Amino acid sequence: MIKMRILLAGCLLAMGMSSPRIAQAAETPVLNLFIWSSYIDPALITAFEKKYNVKVVETDYASNAEMSAKLKAGGDAQYDVTVPSSYYVPELAAEGLIQPIDHSQVPNYKNLIAKFQNPSYDPGDKYSMPYQTGTTGIVYDPAKIKNPPQSWAALYDPKVNPNFPFVLPKGEGRDQIASACAYLGLGFTCSTKEDWLKAAKLIVATKKRANFAGFVDETPARDQMKSGLIAISTAYNGDIGQCYADGSCKTLKYFLPKEGTEQWVDTMAIPAHAPNPKLALEFINFILDGANGADLSNWNQYASPNQASQSALTGILQTEMFTPSAADEKILYFLPPLEGAQYKLFNSIWTSVLQ
Amino acid sequence: MSNVVPRSVRTMLSAISWPVYILLYTPLALVALYSFAPAPNQTGHSLHAYSVLFADGDVGAALRRSLILAFGSAIVSTSLGTLLGYGLCRFRAPNARGIAANLPSLIIYTPIIMPSLVFGISELIFFNFVHSTTGLLNAGLGTMVIAHITFQVPYVALTVFARLAGLDPNLFEASHDLYADGIKSFFYLTVPVVRPAIIGGFLLGITLSIDDFTISFFTSGPGSVTLPIYIYGAIARKGISPEINALGTLMIAVIIVLAVAHFFINRHRERASQLPV
Amino acid sequence: MFFRKRTALLGFFLMSASSLPQTAVQTESRARAFRLWITAGPGLFWIILFLLIPSAVLLGIGFLSSNDYGSPVMPITSQPFQQVAGFSMLGWDDGNIIIFLRSLEQAGIATVVTALLAYPLVFFIMTRPESVRPLLMLFIVLPSWTNQVVRTYAWLELLGPNAPLTWVAHALHIVPPDLGIAPGSFAVTTGLAYNYLPYMIVPLYASAERLDWTLVEAGRDLYASGFKLFWHTVFPQTIPGLLSGIIFVAIPAFGDYVVPQLLGGDRALMIGSLIANQFTETPDWPYGAALTIIMLVFTAAGLIAFRILSRRLGGSGEATI
Repeated sequence: MIKMRILLAGCLLAMGMSSPRIAQAAETPVLNLFIWSSYIDPALITAFEKKYNVKVVETDYASNAEMSAKLKAGGDAQYDVTVPSSYYVPELAAEGLIQPIDHSQVPNYKNLIAKFQNPSYDPGDKYSMPYQTGTTGIVYDPAKIKNPPQSWAALYDPKVNPNFPFVLPKGEGRDQIASACAYLGLGFTCSTKEDWLKAAKLIVATKKRANFAGFVDETPARDQMKSGLIAISTAYNGDIGQCYADGSCKTLKYFLPKEGTEQWVDTMAIPAHAPNPKLALEFINFILDGANGADLSNWNQYASPNQASQSALTGILQTEMFTPSAADEKILYFLPPLEGAQYKLFNSIWTSVLQ
Repeated sequence: MSNVVPRSVRTMLSAISWPVYILLYTPLALVALYSFAPAPNQTGHSLHAYSVLFADGDVGAALRRSLILAFGSAIVSTSLGTLLGYGLCRFRAPNARGIAANLPSLIIYTPIIMPSLVFGISELIFFNFVHSTTGLLNAGLGTMVIAHITFQVPYVALTVFARLAGLDPNLFEASHDLYADGIKSFFYLTVPVVRPAIIGGFLLGITLSIDDFTISFFTSGPGSVTLPIYIYGAIARKGISPEINALGTLMIAVIIVLAVAHFFINRHRERASQLPV
Repeated sequence: MFFRKRTALLGFFLMSASSLPQTAVQTESRARAFRLWITAGPGLFWIILFLLIPSAVLLGIGFLSSNDYGSPVMPITSQPFQQVAGFSMLGWDDGNIIIFLRSLEQAGIATVVTALLAYPLVFFIMTRPESVRPLLMLFIVLPSWTNQVVRTYAWLELLGPNAPLTWVAHALHIVPPDLGIAPGSFAVTTGLAYNYLPYMIVPLYASAERLDWTLVEAGRDLYASGFKLFWHTVFPQTIPGLLSGIIFVAIPAFGDYVVPQLLGGDRALMIGSLIANQFTETPDWPYGAALTIIMLVFTAAGLIAFRILSRRLGGSGEATI
């Protein structure tokens, strides 16, 4: 029995160790930020802490899916602000994991560019506010792939690239199915079972090509492009802009496929049982401030969805890669939202592709 | 003992082993090479990545948490696991059969079998439940330590068991006569005998802990970002940057320097203590 | 109250684990059970409290329905297990069976390769001076202290299209001119060996280090060839270490998907990624729980068979936990 008590005491000690936050919370209010690693300028955090006399505790995640799983398993009561990508917003909202945003508390909302004020993934920005944005295009090594068509054919047509290794993005399958639909002429925002199955068939066939080098997400794929492991891949404009700017990928070329491609958005949302939702609203409003938004984008080197920030953007962010022309705007789409049974069907199809 | 092994076999062992050691460190050499990448818009090698790394306070904090987590959990799991391996080897009735006899073994195997995502999510739900009903076990470094102990225990227990299994049981009986008291016999006989297994188990525990992402991610609380959590996130956002390579290089280099220094200091001391005789 | 009940239960099954003989030996047996309880109790109790109970709750959802977003909802159903058997919204397919066999193959490859590498390394370390051995052991595990993605990515480059080893493969026409050795099955094997080698070496070393060399001396006159000598005098003594090593390598390699994803070109799902996806990218938690339950049952059955086999190999005592 004595041994048991010692063990019990040990357990209690371990439990005690894990609650240093309780004492702290009594003094200054805490904003718990759940965000991708190094996705916010530390100077902005300091400025926010000073302005509202609070403390910001940052916790990192590496993918939307993990973040969502953690919220589902009870994490929705641990964090005040999280940063899901646009296509995760409908799912998180339907599952009751994020709460509606009180627009009256976010006066800076009016600063957003018009097309971000009523996006298809979250009509009226009821549950989310845009954080950073960008486009998804195709990057290739012109020494290996000569004059490819400005089209998804560069990836999906074996005649364009019969020999050199290439990758497709990983993730939830959303951008792959959409791009395959676009290539097949079914439109980037295809949303019927028949279209998805056709796209899935194309991806399965593509996967069987000898020079297919795997499902690799855009950012790691850029690393593989830089070291010559692969010759062509999808890419985010921000990633390519960055390596153009620091001189590490000057020989690579980037384009937007003419059949249509993604305007990606990472958004800010408030978990359903956030400990401090009022402070969360203040944080969202703070980020949507024109000057702060510009600081954020200049630090991240991603485009800003904020109209009031545009004039203060510097360096590569002023180049055409980051400011889509009117012609480009016509081929840019948000990933279409999937709701209810559609979501489940899509996942079944995508799982069958991966097998 | 080792003089039993003929010279030709020794040569063969060396011929196989040295290349394996080299292969083990080849990827790390590449990592180190990339850590000396040039600063933006420059050419040649530089220490730019290291200066960025040292300026980043988050990395230092994450490293500190990872070390506390790894060593804290490995110390507890080594104690629990050593006792477990010893107890099952010595005191389990011989020739027991059936489900009951296999049950302790199956319990010990579960942390190895359980998929890490299921492991992590289960614990997150459990810790949340305990916290909301009792106020204990608030998610943070403490809950991470608990989870890490859980998945390390079987590795220590099986290593210790492997060492003890096949040892002559009479050895223990003899020591029992000598020391009478079970606890004394444990510390004077068993511990020295299983020492290599304890050290090995401890090393495996650290290895499992220091690079664990999934279970750490789910059992962590606000702010308790460890090195793997930071690194996986950073790779997803920025790719494998020179700073990440610099971090890996630095960690391994520091440990190698410490270990080699420790080795030479020890040898020096041993020699010094032998000289006067 | 809760704790007391638990410990009583624990005591009960530990006692029953030791078969109780008759009167005369009963006190002896009771003392033994008490010692077993004191030593093995805390560790087992820890695993039961912090893993078995929590995971039983999560795995319980394997018997529930899933809503459109893959979260568990009532009523109770066998739907998730039908999905495990291969029935989905798109009809039946043999995908899951193939995934299972593929993962089994991967576990087998990892185990054989690491065991073949571990033996020479362990005996190499043992023939070095005693003071150097801990250092050599540390240098085996040290590479695993770096980030797995970082070191696996390094392999991707070392076996990529522009790497020296690949030029050799190009010259021999093993690999088409513009492609690399990675991604490919050789790269996966390399990655698995690299990842799991320490887990084979540590237990093998721990059990081989106390080798009884007098047996080897005695056997020298009996066995003509060096291999026979090894096989009959050395190898039997290393069996407990080898068995622990096999468990450390085979089970995690069965569920591993990071290596095949990065170095294998991700052409095929592994059981590990299939389960992980059900909790993350393509959520269906009840299906994920059902998959885990089936995997646990199969692995447990395999381990019991393994234990029976190892008992035969190990002679009188238990050769593995």
